[in-house]
Amino acid sequence: MEERVVSVTLDDIHKRFDANEVLKGISLSAHQGEVISVLGPSGSGKSTLLRCINLLEIPDSGRLFVSGEEVLLKKTRDKRTVPADMKQVERIRAKLAMVFQQFNLWSHMTILQNVIEAPVHVLKVPRREAIDKARMYLEKVGIPDKLEAYPAHLSGGQQQRAAIARALAVEPEVILFDEPTSALDPELVGEVLQVMRTLAEEGRTMIVVTHEMGFAQEVSSRVIFLDEGLVMEDGDPETIFNNPATDRFSAFIKAMV
Amino acid sequence: MFSLHGYGPSIFEGTILTLEVSLASLFIAMLLGISGALAKLSRARSLRLVSQIYTTIIRGIPDLVLMLLIFFGGQVFINQLGPMLGYDDYIDINPFIAGVSTIGFIFGAYMTETFRGAILAVSKGQLEAGTAYGMSSFMVFRRITLPQMVRHALPGFGNNWLVLVKTTALVSIIGLDDMVRKAGLAAGATRKPFTFYLVVAINYLLITTLSIYILKQLERRYSVGVREF
Repeated sequence: MEERVVSVTLDDIHKRFDANEVLKGISLSAHQGEVISVLGPSGSGKSTLLRCINLLEIPDSGRLFVSGEEVLLKKTRDKRTVPADMKQVERIRAKLAMVFQQFNLWSHMTILQNVIEAPVHVLKVPRREAIDKARMYLEKVGIPDKLEAYPAHLSGGQQQRAAIARALAVEPEVILFDEPTSALDPELVGEVLQVMRTLAEEGRTMIVVTHEMGFAQEVSSRVIFLDEGLVMEDGDPETIFNNPATDRFSAFIKAMV
Repeated sequence: MFSLHGYGPSIFEGTILTLEVSLASLFIAMLLGISGALAKLSRARSLRLVSQIYTTIIRGIPDLVLMLLIFFGGQVFINQLGPMLGYDDYIDINPFIAGVSTIGFIFGAYMTETFRGAILAVSKGQLEAGTAYGMSSFMVFRRITLPQMVRHALPGFGNNWLVLVKTTALVSIIGLDDMVRKAGLAAGATRKPFTFYLVVAINYLLITTLSIYILKQLERRYSVGVREF
């Protein structure tokens, strides 16, 4: 097998909220071009895992590497783990775009402003260039005519597609999707999944926390099943859907279908 | 038809001073308000404590009493401090500075609460999106929190401003020639108090009505994309 470039590596990541240990030692690597679906029952730690990757949550212990660079963490006097270098964290976050369940488009900005915000203000791309690219990405997600609209004037599906354009605009190493279709009306899910499918076919690296079994099975190159804070299954979709290694996963599949 | 017996220009000067005191006080109140709000929402306990003491004291004492305390107390304090620093002349506090800083100080406490509520009203997801795209916490505040909190702050801010304008009437008691004091002087000289206080009332009403109009425009502007009028 060819040598593949590693984009993100997690090594024995632990995270607890008070008494509740949500991640109990997660290790995995995402390679360039992989589309990883993360499945699991609610409370299994899927979203926390995703949020640890771009440091919206700081892991209590374990090591995290993003495009070969280790994220430096340190302990405070009261035993909390915090980033040692905020500048590094900001730099790493800018490489990892995130698409949220609730879209989280900035409500006081137009769609165009949303898409160019991070390129212009964080990455210091010249405004002209950022606008040209924004047009291209908005076209790609199928809403080229919504540049001047505000998020509140768009349907949920359109907002999520705009949020995907915002993610593409930072030309990220990896795009993290946190249940991107869970807040959508059923008839709007398809249009968002279609955009994600296109991105997957372009070879973009994606980590997708989802409940869409169809997407996991058909689009992703790898599926991870998380339960009670541990990786229970990890493999290509065909293998693990046809031959689940654990009873938990077969029960989960049965319940979802 | 009533006449102002030649006191028109004097009342006008007073009105200008009232506006100057109001705007200067507002400026101080806004600075204190945003600092106070950030302090109250800060993770540092000492900052939270200081801002809590500030708003508790200020909001618990009548404006008039505070103004007298700061004006006369400040006078005594400064004149005790002066000799210690080798300055022996009697120092008179400039009433404009005393009035503006007192009113600014008082309304800073109200603005603190208004701004605190407005910051809390900005949804967490909006800020998180900024953080997730690599913004520093200062940039998140400047690019997201600040523009979004304005909409939430404006109604309370407007109220504070209207009350502040009316509170400037108190500066006449510390010897500042605002329109209330000018009217008082004219009323005394002409023995027509009703006429002059009526003029003052109308002037206040003009200022506040214009303010309400401007605030409405601001609310409209800062609601773009969020709420239709």
